[in-house]
Amino acid sequence: MALTVVQRPPRSPWPFVKLKLRLIAGGLRGRPSRITLFVLGVVMAGIFAVTGYAVFAVPGVVGDDRAAGMLFQLGGSALVLGWVVLPLLFFGVDESLDPARFALLPLPRRTLIVGLFAAALAGLPALSTLAATAGMVSTAADLGGTGAAVAQLGGIVGGLLICVAVSRAVTSAFATGLRSRRSRDLAVVLFAVLAALLGPLQLALLAGAERADWDAFAVLADVLGWTPLAAPWSLGLDVADGRLWAVPVKLLIVAGTLVGLLWWWSATLERAMLGAASTGSKAGHKDVGSPTGLLLGRRLPRTRFGALVAREARYWWRETRRRAALITFTVAGLFLPLSISISGGSAGPVAAFVGLIAVIALANQFGYEGNAYAANITAGVPGRVEIHSRVVAHALFVLPLLLVIAVVSGLVAGRSEHIPGNLGLMIATYGVGLGLVLPVSVRAAFALPESTSPFAMSSGGGMAKGLLTVGVMLGTLIASVPLQILAFVLGDVWLWIGLPVGAAYGCAAYLIGSGVAGDWLDRRMPEVLAAVSPGR
Amino acid sequence: MTVPAPREGDQAAAMSLRGLVKQFDTKLAVSQVSLEVPAGSFYGLLGPNGAGKTTTLSMAVGLLRPDAGQAFLLGYDVWADPAAAKSRLGVLPDGVRLFDRLTGPELLAYHGLLRGMDAATVDQRSRELLDVLELGTGNRTLVVDYSAGMRKKIGLACALLHAPRLLVLDEPFEAVDPVSAARIREILQRYVAGGGTVVFSSHVMEVVERLCSHVAIISDGVLRVHGTLAAVRGDRSLEDVFVQVVGGRVSTGSELAWL
Repeated sequence: MALTVVQRPPRSPWPFVKLKLRLIAGGLRGRPSRITLFVLGVVMAGIFAVTGYAVFAVPGVVGDDRAAGMLFQLGGSALVLGWVVLPLLFFGVDESLDPARFALLPLPRRTLIVGLFAAALAGLPALSTLAATAGMVSTAADLGGTGAAVAQLGGIVGGLLICVAVSRAVTSAFATGLRSRRSRDLAVVLFAVLAALLGPLQLALLAGAERADWDAFAVLADVLGWTPLAAPWSLGLDVADGRLWAVPVKLLIVAGTLVGLLWWWSATLERAMLGAASTGSKAGHKDVGSPTGLLLGRRLPRTRFGALVAREARYWWRETRRRAALITFTVAGLFLPLSISISGGSAGPVAAFVGLIAVIALANQFGYEGNAYAANITAGVPGRVEIHSRVVAHALFVLPLLLVIAVVSGLVAGRSEHIPGNLGLMIATYGVGLGLVLPVSVRAAFALPESTSPFAMSSGGGMAKGLLTVGVMLGTLIASVPLQILAFVLGDVWLWIGLPVGAAYGCAAYLIGSGVAGDWLDRRMPEVLAAVSPGR
Repeated sequence: MTVPAPREGDQAAAMSLRGLVKQFDTKLAVSQVSLEVPAGSFYGLLGPNGAGKTTTLSMAVGLLRPDAGQAFLLGYDVWADPAAAKSRLGVLPDGVRLFDRLTGPELLAYHGLLRGMDAATVDQRSRELLDVLELGTGNRTLVVDYSAGMRKKIGLACALLHAPRLLVLDEPFEAVDPVSAARIREILQRYVAGGGTVVFSSHVMEVVERLCSHVAIISDGVLRVHGTLAAVRGDRSLEDVFVQVVGGRVSTGSELAWL
């Protein structure tokens, strides 16, 4: 079979389509789990197709052409965006036709592009998208008769082609990019930001929908109709509305977009086929400063403690899991008090909560760098020094953030006199949280998976130890209750003494907790190392 | 068949292990290992994969708590007086990550300051080590992006930085290219000539045979032979001794006759 393909220089895309179908069939052979997954995929695709069809067909049934216009253009744009984003999120799911695998075959690039494009069309996602958008044809027929239906049919085919082309082009462009550690790290952080923003975005959307101005949406939809995102989806409606002149213009937009996307794809394909991008050695040979200067910057003391703090601070910034944790904390810490402030609630309990979530990232602080901790053991770093340095590095990031959060949420709520008191509460809970989480981090350290993705879960014992974090959160809340009550009872006096009292309370709790943790660490260094070493 | 190590009465042992035992779950990883490493020796710890070399060395340098036994480094008990023992020790562990989100110069500065050295000395020695090991004094690449060989070299540089009296190196030549390996050998030989002691593990005979004054062979967690290279080797090659001690199959010439 393969021989015939090789002997005849393949001009037609069929060998690629056949290869793809064969790969799907081959993947189904034998493995029950794969078959289950496949069936699940078919069911999901079927559900998507049926729901999509129903949704897009409704405006035709009820005869509402304004709703049809908005639905088609907004829904169609969402489809295209979905085709862009999903392959990025799940990059690597379908590598069956990874361009790199064709690198050794003597194929003209044009044949390769057309073939891979056809193969991408012959898949469940494309089929279900086509089926879902077929509902648009039904609506177009109801609203504008046969002519509109034919135009819409052409539209959904064009739309599907754009969907597939854009997704292939983007995947291929990222295929080279995502192979280097640096860009993967960046992608991970971007996704962490996106994930952290999901909650706030949802609320913003809901708030927007409440005060919905449908006219604004209609204008947006019409504007989108003239962009590649929604141009194909509105062809039938233009015919139904008698705007025949719009059809050739939009067809031109579609065709131009397709040509542009395919050109972009073929340009990036070559680089993707070369496989792992060699980033080259960035070994600059000009002297950029003394090693200690590079590590410590200008301000940190040239001592063991300075080195420990500097290394830890670098890690909060350079290690993706830690950076993701910081980003999530920043977003959540800003968003929670803000939303409460805007809705007019009391910021006190929320302030306590912000101080609390800041320490969660430290619950498994020894797990982040794995057994690299061995270096500190062989250098004989005492437990308390180790603990203090880690907290100082964390506080370098967290304390300024707490200040910003307190100021911003106080100003937004229009109660700037509460800022010092709330900051005091945050520092108090941060200190109490540290006091509890530091001993836990020594006693219940666990190995994280080698992968640096924040979405990779550690298997086994990690979960049980993760439960301890929940215990720490509860304990911190309970331990900060006295201060909350004090703040409530004292009323206006708290505004004056809140900051010093809160800071003192937090410091005391921190000193106790860090002392316990340091002493435990002195006795348990090898055990902590063993706990965070993977695969023992 | 233990070959007794020649006594060198006036020299204190640089490393002295007494009855080290380590059990992992059901497997006895190290069983009653006792070893004397004379000061100024170049000591090779040989053994097949999984023999217990890394476990033994980890216990010796204070990274893994032994179930029983004692370890002395330069006369100090590692587990009773860790600070004194560790201050004179340089370690290159195997299969252990470095703080690899730092650049090479940053990592060296970190190790130097961690050892309590003053900044000027750290800077001067770091530059020299980076230069000698050809890692680039201005290299801004993070260690995580280094090749395996470069990682070994920066790890070795970290172990050498504070001029320890005893170096414990786990598989220092693994994945290192021949040119760098020659450079490392040269550095280590000079270090021993200057009075330092090196203990290193390997499963490559040639390296051990070329470098070492003393050899110990360990397999299945048991120390089989130890002593000076000449005493262990006798008039045979080290490889023959090794295969015989470890108990590998000896070819009779009759199997796989169809080949």
